[in-house]
Amino acid sequence: MLRSITSSVRALFRKKQLARELDLELREFLDMAADEKIRAGMGRKEAVREVRLERGSLEGTKEAVRSAGWEYLAETLWDDLGFGVRSLRNNPGFVLVVVLSLAIGIGANSTIFSVVNALIYRPLPYDRANHLVAIWETPIGRPNQTQPPPIAELLDWKKQNDVFDDIVLTSGTEDGILSGAGSPESIHVMDVTPNFFEFLGARPVLGRIFYAEEMQEHTQTVVISDAFWKSHFRGEADVLGKILHVSGLISTVVGVMPAGFAPFYGDPVDLWQPVDPASPRYAARQDHWLVPVARLKPSVTLTQAQTEMDVIGRRLEQVYPETNKGISSRLQPLHDALFGYAREPLYPLFGAVAFVLLIACANVANLMQSRAETRRNEFAMRASLGAGRGRLTQQLLVESALLALSGGLLGVLLSFWGIKVFRSLAGIFPGSDLIDIDRNVLLFTFCISLLTAFLFGLYPAMQVSRSDLNDLVRTGEQRTMSGSRGLVRHALAVSEVALAMVLLIGTGLMINSIVRLQNVDPGFDANNLLTMSIQLPEGGRYVERVPGGDMERATAQVTSFYRQLLARIKALPGVASVGSISGLPTHFSEAHTFTVLGHAPPPPDQRIRVGYNEVMPGFFETLRIPLKKGRYLDEHDTASTAWAIVVNETFARQFFPNEDPIGQQVLMRYDPYPVDEDRPRVIVGIVGDVRHWGLGDSAPPFVYASHLQQGGTYPGGSIVAHLWQEIAIRTEPGHSPANLGASVKKIVAELDPDQPVTEAVTMEQILARSVGVYDFYLRILGIFASVALLLAVMGIYGVMSYYVNQRRREMGIRIALGAAPGNVLSQVVKRAVQLSLLGVALGGALALGLARLISGFLYGVKPSDPLTYVVVAAALIAVALIASFLPARRATRVDPLTALRYE
Amino acid sequence: MADRTTEVIQGTLDMLILKTLALESIHGYGIAVRIEQMSGGVFRINAGSLFVALQRLQRGGLIRSEWKETENNRRAKYYVLTEQGRKKLSSETQEWERQVAAITRILEAS
Repeated sequence: MLRSITSSVRALFRKKQLARELDLELREFLDMAADEKIRAGMGRKEAVREVRLERGSLEGTKEAVRSAGWEYLAETLWDDLGFGVRSLRNNPGFVLVVVLSLAIGIGANSTIFSVVNALIYRPLPYDRANHLVAIWETPIGRPNQTQPPPIAELLDWKKQNDVFDDIVLTSGTEDGILSGAGSPESIHVMDVTPNFFEFLGARPVLGRIFYAEEMQEHTQTVVISDAFWKSHFRGEADVLGKILHVSGLISTVVGVMPAGFAPFYGDPVDLWQPVDPASPRYAARQDHWLVPVARLKPSVTLTQAQTEMDVIGRRLEQVYPETNKGISSRLQPLHDALFGYAREPLYPLFGAVAFVLLIACANVANLMQSRAETRRNEFAMRASLGAGRGRLTQQLLVESALLALSGGLLGVLLSFWGIKVFRSLAGIFPGSDLIDIDRNVLLFTFCISLLTAFLFGLYPAMQVSRSDLNDLVRTGEQRTMSGSRGLVRHALAVSEVALAMVLLIGTGLMINSIVRLQNVDPGFDANNLLTMSIQLPEGGRYVERVPGGDMERATAQVTSFYRQLLARIKALPGVASVGSISGLPTHFSEAHTFTVLGHAPPPPDQRIRVGYNEVMPGFFETLRIPLKKGRYLDEHDTASTAWAIVVNETFARQFFPNEDPIGQQVLMRYDPYPVDEDRPRVIVGIVGDVRHWGLGDSAPPFVYASHLQQGGTYPGGSIVAHLWQEIAIRTEPGHSPANLGASVKKIVAELDPDQPVTEAVTMEQILARSVGVYDFYLRILGIFASVALLLAVMGIYGVMSYYVNQRRREMGIRIALGAAPGNVLSQVVKRAVQLSLLGVALGGALALGLARLISGFLYGVKPSDPLTYVVVAAALIAVALIASFLPARRATRVDPLTALRYE
Repeated sequence: MADRTTEVIQGTLDMLILKTLALESIHGYGIAVRIEQMSGGVFRINAGSLFVALQRLQRGGLIRSEWKETENNRRAKYYVLTEQGRKKLSSETQEWERQVAAITRILEAS
């Protein structure tokens, strides 16, 4: 085989010499044969003729020998390429239309593929990345949910397992406060165990990694990123040993990580700080904060590791029944844990762009077919001069490939721009920085370019090679359309309409969803509301750590800070009222479970989670959340009075169907912490439902507790609901909100110079952002559907024009015989309607099957919403009619004489 | 010469050429004539199939070629069986005999 290839390659270069040799050898062969006949008494001329009949001609044999080797293919391909370029150059308009349609189709596919590639296919950039797994635990009674396991369990696993090389703990990207130098700022922080860096094979470019022993109550050592080093220390080497105040902790810089080190989430991280699982802080095993990531030993499979973790889990249940009863571990490949979210939205989009490309292919196939037909004479001529059918097919396919690859090249260029558009539509999401055009994207583009070349080039090529060429040469240009060819054209038009229908239905459903979402009542008055959020640090003067556990105690400074802040904001000009909550609607809310005093407590695995936030007095009035019963929380609900809560209507309906909720006492519990609060809370009011989990989700049962009535100690990080407050300010109509933001910032700086505050955002902006994913889907499907519609219109126009041209004679005769123009017009229009009806029916059926895939992005509308289908179908048929009108009008103007002259 | 001549059975020309060359090195025309003679005039070799086969065999390394004088003082390309070609011939022959025996058995079954 190898020798055959090398000798063929050699043959390519020694082409001339070999041809000469073959020529000589063949002449000898034929001469010898002729000589023999002459010796037998035949005349020379007759002998030569006889030999040619018996043995074949010199040129024919040469061609046969040449075409047997594969270098012949390369040679003819080259010839075809040259011929193709020359032939296409004579037809710039055709080339422009074809290449542009393909470039749009291919560019859209490359764009979406580059996203899919970055988020789904590309392996994580770590050593043996497919051996990395995230370890989750499934909460009691909720086997289908996952949450981070307690930090202290890391030590048990490390001791007991035989399946992992190493295990690290990592937080997500968190906000920290950098203070002590100039104005305070919010920075991105990651909490990790010290082995995190070595685990990923990363080393600092300067200094060293931190050790767990360096963590004290108020001090720690940290490692900073290259970008932070450059922006805050001008990249100078004396950064080591510098002291930073990070969320109230005194932090000494001991190392700098290399540029581009952004593990797992791709977010820009400024600083890594240490977590020590062995510290007494985590001994309570009640936190659920850091995700463990482990590397499987080379020979261990995920299933084996899961089995091992199950065994360890059962052992832990026995040792720590208090915290681990009914809890099990779940291993998940790290790639799934990080990017699994991307599949549901991306695959339907991938399907949508594939449709766009298919429509483009159908269009181009149509154009190719027309061109092939106008070139029938050329092909007939070549066939009669001895070109085989294979050669003609090859010629057409080479031209198709030439067009498709040009389209692909332009498509790649378009996709650079497409990625920018995608990013601006999608906003920032995990991994959005990773999207680029790499080798895989180029390979993908190359492959789909070739594939499209076959899709649109094969049929016309087969047509040409199949038609009876001799017949063609004889009759010259024939003006009848063979049945099958017309059928194929019509099938192309029908499929274009069908594909466009599917995309338009998708867009229609999204438009429906958005319109419904925009009309959703969020449960409060979002006009004239300005918001700013403040996250007091989990350290420094606001928080004390309770020794011997992970409980944290909030100091009195927290409440005093917010009290003063709200009072001073209220005094600002233009402010009608002000309030605050841990997380505004569509933002953060905590999950709590509860028991009602006097009701039988639910079993541990059936406790229901409800939404929970702390509010400052004035919150309900400011948002204008309607009071349904009882009263709002106010200034009189303080530490010295009974703890009061307000619940929403859903909560009241769900848990007190037959009783009056007002006056009922409940014991709240921060989920998944296994202990109740030490004091019951009494329900004093019922308010209207607010869509805390987003406009697209119905309101969850919700509990509002007063910021002023808190026990002071919080388990496992739940203190943030107390430390973080989002301020809502109702402005008087006509007052400029920009001034107000600056004034609030000034007040915050006066209260605590180390405390940053976010920019002011209106509540309407927050709500708009919360429907961003629907909006994104609408826009991107809308773009694809518009392109599809445009291409489909072009396709229908092309097919109808062809139809009219083919029937010129017939129409001329009919007009000559006295047919009214209206009759001719209706014949053409009728055909267009038939085609589009068929396409709409097929597309509708296809859409019914496919729309379910995007049901996760639909709001208030079923994937089979009949109105959407009817409207889109009607619109498509109308557009098809318009596209067929021009050709139809041309048909009525056929001059009978001209038409008949074609005969 | 027999009344009817045919092309050789598809796929067997290579084997026949190798067999011919196993007897002696010879040029293209010689090969054609030998095969026709040995077949008792049943087979007729046309130049196209012969030279395509020769090219294929040469690329496969089963035969090689050299230019030589013929007995009539002409220059012709002589083909020589290589060691590899000799092995191939023996294995092809065995395989062929096996298949023919099998086909015969089938045809003679009553």
